[in-house]
Amino acid sequence: MQCGTCSVICNLSPAEKPFPRKEMIWAGWGLKDKLLSDPDIWLCLQCGDCTTTCPRGVKPGDVLASLRNFSYLHYARPKFLAKLLSKPKYLPVVIAIPIIFILTIIYFAGTLTIPEGVVNYSKFFPHLYLNISFSILLFLMIIGMIKSIKVFQKDLKKNTAFKKHKNSLLRCFISAIKEILTHEKFNKCRYHKYRYYTHLMVFWGFIILLIVTIFAIIAVVFFEYPLSLWNPVKIASNFAAFLLFTGLTVMIYNRIVNKSFAGNSNYMDWVFLISIYLLVISGVFVQIARFQNWTIAYHLYTLHLVLDWFVIIYAPYTKFGHFIYRTIAMTYAKYVGRE
Amino acid sequence: MPKKKILVVGGGISGITTAIEVAEVGYEVVLIEKLPYLGGRVVKMNQYFPKLCPPYCGLEINFRRIKQNPGITIFTSTIIENISGSKGNFTVTLKTKPAFVKNNCTVCGECEKVCPVERTNEFNYEMNKTKAIYLPHEMAFPWKYTIDENVCLKNNCKKCVEVCKYNAIDLEATSKQLQLNVSSIVFATGWYPYDATKLDNMNFGVFPNVITNVMMERLSAPNGPTLGKILRPSDNKEPKTIAFVQCAGSRDENHLPYCSGVCCTASLKHALYIREQLPEAKVKIFYIDLRVYGRNEDFLNKVESDKNIELIKGKVGLIDENPDTKGLIIKAEDTMTGIRKKEEVDMVVLATGIVPNKIDIEKINYDNNGFIIPGLLEDGIFAASCTKRPLDVSASLKDATGMALKAIQETK
Repeated sequence: MQCGTCSVICNLSPAEKPFPRKEMIWAGWGLKDKLLSDPDIWLCLQCGDCTTTCPRGVKPGDVLASLRNFSYLHYARPKFLAKLLSKPKYLPVVIAIPIIFILTIIYFAGTLTIPEGVVNYSKFFPHLYLNISFSILLFLMIIGMIKSIKVFQKDLKKNTAFKKHKNSLLRCFISAIKEILTHEKFNKCRYHKYRYYTHLMVFWGFIILLIVTIFAIIAVVFFEYPLSLWNPVKIASNFAAFLLFTGLTVMIYNRIVNKSFAGNSNYMDWVFLISIYLLVISGVFVQIARFQNWTIAYHLYTLHLVLDWFVIIYAPYTKFGHFIYRTIAMTYAKYVGRE
Repeated sequence: MPKKKILVVGGGISGITTAIEVAEVGYEVVLIEKLPYLGGRVVKMNQYFPKLCPPYCGLEINFRRIKQNPGITIFTSTIIENISGSKGNFTVTLKTKPAFVKNNCTVCGECEKVCPVERTNEFNYEMNKTKAIYLPHEMAFPWKYTIDENVCLKNNCKKCVEVCKYNAIDLEATSKQLQLNVSSIVFATGWYPYDATKLDNMNFGVFPNVITNVMMERLSAPNGPTLGKILRPSDNKEPKTIAFVQCAGSRDENHLPYCSGVCCTASLKHALYIREQLPEAKVKIFYIDLRVYGRNEDFLNKVESDKNIELIKGKVGLIDENPDTKGLIIKAEDTMTGIRKKEEVDMVVLATGIVPNKIDIEKINYDNNGFIIPGLLEDGIFAASCTKRPLDVSASLKDATGMALKAIQETK
């Protein structure tokens, strides 16, 4: 690791102490603390430019990706949840938790039977129970997330590798959010441009669904449920599903077929990618099942809720946590003048 | 029983050496060369390192040794097509391109004056042009003009035939095939510089002021396209800053996985060419490691002590162009300071590596990189110099001499 081609070819790497050559050397020396408190590993968007041009085939892109995976385990609070989600042998456990929880709630709601007649999911899982129980879970998750963020921030501050500048923290945060919304940095990658489009689709698909969901929770008061297919909320969510499905399909395809630049995918990558993929697909089927009055509608609905849990409630413990760490690291990098 | 011949394939400095050494101890030798002239890569160089003497000097001596020795037969514009038989009794098939210019050519140059067609000059790495009928270079051996059959209008033009006083041009000439019985064969097929257009990030061929090290030799050579003046191609002005990119392709799994061995010393030599000619010019050499072997260490010390030459440890990852100045913006991480440099220079020289020439023939196997593994060759067939590994000229000569001895042993 003496040539520095990776650090030069990367369009996101700062001029002073550029990544990823520095991280490759630290990793080689086993400097775990330095790596975990390094904001640079989160500035990397894994476009694969460094791996493609590396003259010795050392794959810096893959190394940074695995360092990020390591960070999810390190910073997660409570830690055991991240551990459960990082190994295939615990998969039955992490699936069983949401199933038992959901069935228990439905049991207490007194609706633990398949309802007769026209499919109406609120007859199976009353909206009030659903919204309250999931909101409590979300609240607990956010508490865990805040704890993780605090530890991560503390570590970043301990990192003395970069000198401090006097940028306003709020301004840095706003600028980071702006970059995330436009995927401006993603577009700087040199080869493999598809990643910009796929991530943009998935990102915005997700944002739309998030807005729609929040709206749907409030809308229980105003609209009569179930909503018709031509309700603007439904149209938006189906459009989002389309974005997500297309983006994710290309992502998964490239991870399987084009390993040379998509990088090596491990269990943590697949848990995140497949759970969100299945969430989208099951969501679409739940909708079709309602309009077509399928008999398996309520089973599909339960599956959809379990996947929902996987993606949202488990977020800080899976690769989904990248949205937290990246936002913070990007803000911090701006704060200390690393651009 | 008459002594059997030895065949040497390749008329570069190694092939010439093997042929002369064999002939001077009394054996008969046939030397074939695919180009119309002898001298190979060496004849295109300005100076050798580390003594900085011109190759024409040694070549002149060698050409004289060839002329004096009746044991050497030379076929230029000739390739080997087939080998059959075994050690001590090979039958080889040679194919010679049509000799449009006969050996009674006096190099008066009248034909060149009337020739209406131009061609890019491969001798100067396509930096200038010659007519379709041309003299390869000032010390071409054999000493005669040659015709580029790919561009010559042949019988549609015939102007050269009309003007030639010696009747030395025959546009009807055809290619010839020849079979020879030889006792042993030495391959000295040499090398070619790595194709720099394959290095995407270096933008060779895109930005005119990015050149290669072999082009630098021609730019500095008195018989080169600029008559020995180091000028940058875009505007023919003297460059004030010149950067060298070491390992341009070499030591890179995406290109040549091996070290080409000579490019470091060659770039140091080029830096001295520049310093001698352009005393104000600044030279920056970007390298991974400076692999300078043996006595060339002194040469490195000499270059290092020059204040206008900066050696920077870090590989150039990207070259961009400043469209206003046509200067080049080079990006590299200085790995000693950990700072990513972005500097504009007037000209960039890519230190491209050595790629062995391969010839498609049965009985010769190459490794993944195109080098011959001597231990796998059939008895009676030998490989010299750069066919086996990247070598500089002096090491090539030693190896070629060794191969002469091996070839002789098979003629018993």
